[in-house]
Amino acid sequence: MEEKNYYTIDPEGKLTCMKCGIPLVKGKAKFMYLDNGFPVELPVCPQCGFVYVPEELALGKVASVERALEDK
Amino acid sequence: MMDEQIRIEERGSTHVYRQIKMLSEEELVLRESRCVYEQPAYCVAACPLKLDAKAFMDAAAKDQFDKALQLYEKIAPFPAILAAGCEAPCEHKCKLCELGEGIAVRDVEQAVVRYGKRPTVKGFLRMKKKQTVVLFGSGLLILFLTGELVKKNYPVTVVSEEPDLEQWLRAAVEKAGIPEDAVQHDLALLKKMDLTLRGAELPDAQQIRAAAEEFNAVCVSPALTAGLFPEAAPDQALMYDRDLHIVTGSGESEGGVLAAAEAAKRAALSVDRIVQKLDPSNMRGTEGTSETRLYTNTEKVQPSDRLPHDMADGYSREQAVREAQRCIQCHCDECIKGCAYLQHYKKYPRILTREIYNNVGVIMGDHMMNKPINACSLCGQCTVTCPNGYDMAEICHRARQNMVSTDKMALAPHEFALLDMLFSNREAFLSRTQPGYESCKYVFFPGCQAGAVAPETVRAAWTDLSSRLEGGVALMLGCCGAICDWAGRYELYDTVKEFIDRELEKLGGGTAPVVIAGCPTCMKELKGHEGLEVKGIWDVLLEIGLPEGGQGLDRPVAVHDACGARGDHAAQEAIRTIAGKLGMEITETEYSGDRSPCCGYGGLTAYANKEVAHEMTELCLSRSDAPYITYCMACRDRFAREGRQSRHILELVYGTDAGAPPDISEKRYNRMRLKNDLLKEVWNEEVYEVGPDFDIHYTPEALQLMDQRMILKSDVIDVLKYARESGEAILDQESGLYIARARIGNATFWVKYTQENENTYLVRSAYSHRMNIVTR
Repeated sequence: MEEKNYYTIDPEGKLTCMKCGIPLVKGKAKFMYLDNGFPVELPVCPQCGFVYVPEELALGKVASVERALEDK
Repeated sequence: MMDEQIRIEERGSTHVYRQIKMLSEEELVLRESRCVYEQPAYCVAACPLKLDAKAFMDAAAKDQFDKALQLYEKIAPFPAILAAGCEAPCEHKCKLCELGEGIAVRDVEQAVVRYGKRPTVKGFLRMKKKQTVVLFGSGLLILFLTGELVKKNYPVTVVSEEPDLEQWLRAAVEKAGIPEDAVQHDLALLKKMDLTLRGAELPDAQQIRAAAEEFNAVCVSPALTAGLFPEAAPDQALMYDRDLHIVTGSGESEGGVLAAAEAAKRAALSVDRIVQKLDPSNMRGTEGTSETRLYTNTEKVQPSDRLPHDMADGYSREQAVREAQRCIQCHCDECIKGCAYLQHYKKYPRILTREIYNNVGVIMGDHMMNKPINACSLCGQCTVTCPNGYDMAEICHRARQNMVSTDKMALAPHEFALLDMLFSNREAFLSRTQPGYESCKYVFFPGCQAGAVAPETVRAAWTDLSSRLEGGVALMLGCCGAICDWAGRYELYDTVKEFIDRELEKLGGGTAPVVIAGCPTCMKELKGHEGLEVKGIWDVLLEIGLPEGGQGLDRPVAVHDACGARGDHAAQEAIRTIAGKLGMEITETEYSGDRSPCCGYGGLTAYANKEVAHEMTELCLSRSDAPYITYCMACRDRFAREGRQSRHILELVYGTDAGAPPDISEKRYNRMRLKNDLLKEVWNEEVYEVGPDFDIHYTPEALQLMDQRMILKSDVIDVLKYARESGEAILDQESGLYIARARIGNATFWVKYTQENENTYLVRSAYSHRMNIVTR
């Protein structure tokens, strides 16, 4: 069965990893907070594993899930 | 400085299911009982029929007579007769009687009955009850009881010597002096009622006894009972004779319209119990008049008299509206009026306390009240404004401590402040005796915010004190621990307390010197240390006289009293005396002194809930248009941030001006600068400041965002340092920006920047999140 993804962003080749000099690709990542995990697909460097969290995501969905978990 | 090992840990998991009661049920009830918000208005409590006279007057005042009539008919099946004959005890209890004349309730009731319209649309079809009731005789009690029972949907049979309904009704009211138009009004209602009259029938004792076989409840007028059953002794509270099994009363229940109406309500309730074959004395709820503990502030109410009628038969509709508009809608909102926090959540303390108590008891699931718990400034204003001293701060503080103890308290709302406290007591901490003294008689403790907001003032104050006081004045720059106390982190608070005590002992050569506090909150916190003598700098300045060079403002000023000085009248007075000596004219506001609201910094509201903190500041500033003089640096800072001219009293005493409010990074920088400058210039200690080996510039937008998002320049530096060391960064081709990140403590910080050259960065934006991100 396919694993659920809470959020997906495809970098479409617009982001470059400065360390490895290659484009970021849509890759599997996981947000962890207070012992809770959320699988997501985010821009990831296929070589060094750098995961990019865009500003809108951090201040939007991520922040609201943080607040919700903090009240658990 | 404080132990480097002390960490502020994020709680491990949301899956911790622990619970400790924050209060016993008795303690909770005791606290709740202090809040009188839900107590009935004086008129409502005085009405034995339980008319909601307050809501009634409100509707009448808004010219909503139909609604008012509906409220009145709820308690009066024959409204015109009741309004005409009621003795109106509510009028004597009206709060306005204390000032002038109370509301003419009965006159307004009469007008409402006259001009109000009953709904023409038929309501839901109401099912008749199966149990039947018979009523024997006539009179006010039987009339009203009939009305009550019809309203309750009993199939009602009336047996009486009067031949028809009109005569039966007239017989009932003949002694009550009810005007003809009222009789006509209620006769029309009676004729519409669904009941059976067996007229022209003189009931006898045997018939009444036998009725119990045919009907589920038997009611008899007091006059018939007295005549047919001389041995009867009905219970006046229940309107019931247990031996005869009849609902009835003595002659007293016919004493007047109101007495009969009240007796009819009691009798109707007994009928409800009897038809279910239950004891009529049980489960009756509250009946009759009640006591009220309501408090209503009439300070701003102008005394007024009743509106005279110019019509023979009472008020016109317009007059009734105007008379009803005199009603002040008695209620207690003393705490809410002065508190932006209670206004924000639109809840009075009793309900807020109950919800917080329940929230703390939630073992698994959402804690909906965490935000309100952390939004209170713990300032204690409500303990003064509430007529019963309700202490919302204690509730919220206890709840925070409780949540910390059960590991339910999230770190996020308070982490920045807690880290700031550690900064104050580590990097920025300074504790030195005055040069030339092994130990000192005094120590100046200005408070963390003083160093953060007005470092020059701190320096001037200590220089002055140490030059004029005998016995040496040490200096301690640090945090008193209020931050962790407010956050509910009681273990950390004890650690800070021990640390401060230890450092103080060193300064005094074994015993702590007399502390001269520069901040009322520090003073309050430090007074809680065993054996510590603490004075306010304001007291010391009045003892030794103000230094040369002080200058007051040349406009009238408002003094904003610090919440830390609530109850400390000597401190409040001292500030005014100093302001007077500096030539300032003070205008007092309604919320001066002990009634002062919090500026929004207290209780960490400014960190945990910026929206409420902003509302608190606004409320403070709405009290006066004058510049504000404060004696807490946090108040000074928050008012200045909102654009109001505000000065700390010590700035004026020492002729310093801290200027525009610093941002969060400048607040740290100011503390470090103060410490390092003093170490170098006073104690000749060389300080090596190691900055980054690259240049960082910020766009104004970035600085604004960082302040909003509580991101320090030091966080940005750490991210860039990490990016330089690891090479980890990305380039966004669309915006042309580089983006780097680093995990610092419990958060990941991201920086968007451009690079002019290898060693020069221009930061365009920064953001953070607490979630950790991993690949899978």
